[in-house]
Amino acid sequence: MAEYRLDCLGEACPVPLLKTQKKLAGLNVGDMLIVEIDHSCAMKNVPEWARKEGHNVEIEETGDGEWEIYIEKVK
Amino acid sequence: MKLEENRYFKAVVKDAWPYTVGAVLLALLNITLFIANGSPWGVTTPFVYWAAWIHETLVGPVRDWVYFNNPTHLKALDLTFFTHGGSLMNLGIIIGALFTSLAASQFKIRKIKSFRQVIAAIVGGLLMGYGTRIAFGCNIGAFFSGVASFSLHGWVYTIFIFAGAWIGSKLLVKFFM
Repeated sequence: MAEYRLDCLGEACPVPLLKTQKKLAGLNVGDMLIVEIDHSCAMKNVPEWARKEGHNVEIEETGDGEWEIYIEKVK
Repeated sequence: MKLEENRYFKAVVKDAWPYTVGAVLLALLNITLFIANGSPWGVTTPFVYWAAWIHETLVGPVRDWVYFNNPTHLKALDLTFFTHGGSLMNLGIIIGALFTSLAASQFKIRKIKSFRQVIAAIVGGLLMGYGTRIAFGCNIGAFFSGVASFSLHGWVYTIFIFAGAWIGSKLLVKFFM
C-alpha cells in the first residue's frame, strides 16, 4: 500500500500519460500513484486511460491550472 | 452555494466540453464563416502575411516572389492586420482561449522544464511552419476545411498527418521518456 508521486508539471501531452503508464506498470496492486499535472488535456487522457484499465481514479484541483490525479492500482 | 459548485457553471465553464459538442459547433461556425467570408477557415496563411507586411515595411518588396503570384496572396499584401479577417480571427482565437482559461481559473504560466523542451519547441515550430507552406495549410486549412469542402487534398493530408504523427511519437518517446 505504498504511495508514489509523479511530477509531470511543465510536461505537455502526451508525456504525462506515457510517464503514468510506465510508472504504474512497475507498482504493486493496492499502491497509490499521485500524478501532478498542469496541462488540462492530461486531466482528460490520464484518468480516461486509467479508468479504462480498471483502476480507481480521483482528480483534485490543487491550484489554478494544476491538478493531482490519484490512481489506485487495482490489478 | 459557491459558483464553482454550480452544476451548470461546472459543465459549461469549468470542464472540457464533449468532443461531439465541439465537432458540431466547429461545423456550424465553419459554415457561417464560409457564408460570410467566401472561404473556409484557415490559420497559418495569415502568419505569412504578417511576415510579408513586416518584410515590406522594414526590408523591401515581396511582390515579385513566386508565392505572391497567387492573386489572393497578392491582394492581401495591401491589407493590414486590422483589415484582414484571417488575422483578426487568429487574434480572436488567442483572446477566446485566454478568456476561457481565466473563466475556469485554469490560467497558468507553465515553467520550462528542460532545455530539451526549448530545442524541441523551436525545431517543431520551424518544421510545422515549413510544412504548412508546402502543404498550403495546417490541421485547419488543409485538413478541417479541406475535408469539409469534399476536396481530395484534405484526405491526402490526413494520410500523411498520420505518418508524421507516428514518426513524431517515436521521436517523443526517444527524447522525452
